[in-house]
Amino acid sequence: MTARTTPSPGPAQALADALAAEYAAIWAYGVIGVHLAGTQRTAARAAEAAHRARRDTLVVQLSEAGGQVPADRAGYALPYPVTDRASALRLAVEIEHRAAGHWRAALAHTTGADRNRALAALTDCALRATRWRRAAGLTPVTVAFPGRPG
Amino acid sequence: MALGAAVVPVTGCDLLDRGDDGPPPPDPLEPVAAEAAALEARYRAAITAAPDLAGRLTPIADAHRAHAEELRRVIGRPAPSGTPAVAPSTAGTDPAALLSALSGAEQQGRKNAAQACAAAPADRAALLGSIAAARATHLEALK
Repeated sequence: MTARTTPSPGPAQALADALAAEYAAIWAYGVIGVHLAGTQRTAARAAEAAHRARRDTLVVQLSEAGGQVPADRAGYALPYPVTDRASALRLAVEIEHRAAGHWRAALAHTTGADRNRALAALTDCALRATRWRRAAGLTPVTVAFPGRPG
Repeated sequence: MALGAAVVPVTGCDLLDRGDDGPPPPDPLEPVAAEAAALEARYRAAITAAPDLAGRLTPIADAHRAHAEELRRVIGRPAPSGTPAVAPSTAGTDPAALLSALSGAEQQGRKNAAQACAAAPADRAALLGSIAAARATHLEALK
């Protein structure tokens, strides 16, 4: 199958954006986990580990491609104060939706194994968003187009 | 990478150049759109069979409809006439059996959408990726 290989903004930028989203997710789960207990805290730790694994893979991938690997920031601005379980779950849903959006965008800029990896990442984010929505008591627990803006 | 029926249209390129008679080759998205429509029908049938499941299943049926509509828009032509409507499952009215049958159909649908995503040109990859991911979340919601 043919694919246009260098549409703007380009594969390296798409993957760099995904990496930035993974950095932010890892940071956010540090905040989220503090406000959760029991199985939900365990799920937050597992989610954080999953985002770390995606981050590590992306760093290697971008390095090997010879491109610039964006650095993590020291901290991130939260969209609202996260002070309790409800706001922590809400942030978890948003973080996964955001990361899903960047992986979805990467699909158009990748082919072959790279695209399959982006799809796996998008799917994992969507699944975690669904589980967090369920934990937060939100209905429906699914969205029609995971990662689509708007 | 094999896409079954979706691979067939490749030989249709010559026909396009002649430009006159014969229908255009089917779009590779057709099987994905047909499956979305079939999945919606399965969910609607399950809701009819077990109305207590409506709260859980209606949003998923609506998602499949939204997928079919979006795919249809991208394909840019109406559904081919005579598209076989997939027979609703014969899972009876037992909720557990209905959910299990739906899970099986979603699992297959997820796989097909992922394969279509892998094979798609750049401008269709994001839509197919969202559909594959959505079907994965449907499996989660059926648990």
